[in-house]
Amino acid sequence: MANGANFRQMQSANKGKTYFLLASMGALTWLVAYSALTYFGVGTASTMVPIAIGFALIGVWGSYYGSDKLVLTMTGAKLITREDAPELFNVIEEVVIASGLPMPKVAIVEDSAPNAFATGRNPEHALIAFTTRILEVMDRDELQGVIAHEMSHVANRDTLVSAVAATTAGAIAILSDFLTRMMWFGGGRDRRDGNSNPIALVLSLAILIMAPIAAMLLKSAISRKRESLADATAVSFTRNPAGLRKALEVLAADSTVVRQKSNAVAHIWIESPLDGRSVSKMFSTHPPIEERIAALRAMESLGPTV
Amino acid sequence: MELFIALGAIALIALFVVAQYNRLVRLNITVDEAWAQIEVQLKRRADLIPNLVETVKGYAKHEQSTFDAVVAARAKSTSASTVGEVAAADGALTNALRGLLAVAEAYPDLKASTNFLSLQEELSTTENKVSFARQFYNDNVRQLNQAVATVPSKFFAGFAKVGARDFYEVENPTDRNVPNVKF
Repeated sequence: MANGANFRQMQSANKGKTYFLLASMGALTWLVAYSALTYFGVGTASTMVPIAIGFALIGVWGSYYGSDKLVLTMTGAKLITREDAPELFNVIEEVVIASGLPMPKVAIVEDSAPNAFATGRNPEHALIAFTTRILEVMDRDELQGVIAHEMSHVANRDTLVSAVAATTAGAIAILSDFLTRMMWFGGGRDRRDGNSNPIALVLSLAILIMAPIAAMLLKSAISRKRESLADATAVSFTRNPAGLRKALEVLAADSTVVRQKSNAVAHIWIESPLDGRSVSKMFSTHPPIEERIAALRAMESLGPTV
Repeated sequence: MELFIALGAIALIALFVVAQYNRLVRLNITVDEAWAQIEVQLKRRADLIPNLVETVKGYAKHEQSTFDAVVAARAKSTSASTVGEVAAADGALTNALRGLLAVAEAYPDLKASTNFLSLQEELSTTENKVSFARQFYNDNVRQLNQAVATVPSKFFAGFAKVGARDFYEVENPTDRNVPNVKF
């Protein structure tokens, strides 16, 4: 990111990068399918590829479609109404008006770590959730920044983007797993076109083994770009980068992490709950929080954008 | 063969015209909705004012001129109709309310009363909502005005009966920022 990018530039840059990464995912899937074809021949590849994609689709799209309900059980979040937290609802309504989106469902997670997330298959089924702690530690401006970040995930349809990424990564993992197993048992390869080039065979084998790692890296990269994009979109809603910046500083200063029931939903929180563990930056679902703070600070120095 | 090419070309042109027309109409409707949202929030604020004035009066009886200013500004804002009038009345009312809240500063009992605190929260969230509704409205007016002024959508504006709309402009540029009232 160039220094001093305003939120509009930052939004379009991150959107462009997402498209590029999603296209790379597509290319990787094609490469894996092609390697399977080269190594195992037409017969095996033409049954295995659709089966792997089918499995991944069933696994991911069920959870995508029911994401708002599923995540409630996976995080232990409870839906609340206006009477439970009138001030929180006031701030959410403000951001809803700024974004022009419908009012989302609101939930609370009993947890001593400050954090928040958004999910739902489309803006009409959106759900945003906050831990009890984040409501205690944040002032109105900071909370507004956090809500704007979550509503940005809703506006940018990030549940859909991550479902697409998870499907392709899942299909590649299943395919690679299946085919390498088949290889150890020596079977599968059609001897009919056994006259293939040995270099092509070795290359296809390497691709099949490496592809799941590459897919994981791409998936994490997509998630990081969507986080940066959500920060930029949040500023387009509130026109107040300082609020979100201060909120991220509060999150960075706090070392407690959410006691999650499952790592499967780690990527949806505003601050990664995996921070405590040593996750390599390349596999991280969130950009380093210091980088996000610096980008917001750069927007502040540009002055008000109308 | 030529017939199919001609039919295809006509279909493409028709699609293009429909898309342009729909885009303009959609932008215009969004601006209408955004305007309605501003009016809803301004109405909400106007409804809060009698209650707020009564509450402050209970503690601060000798600030009649401040109360009169708020009541007068409120009356003006409820009768405004065009975008320019509403914006001007909104700015005046915001200033009058600022005066009222400044008066409240001098009365510790008032500041501590739960009724006043909840009114104050309602007022500040409504102020925020007004300013976000204004921002959303202006963003959409900008898109609409751009579409009406640029080629090719410009050529369809008359056909779609859609024209440039007025921005919601607050006279004093510093009024764009919501007053940061602390108690």
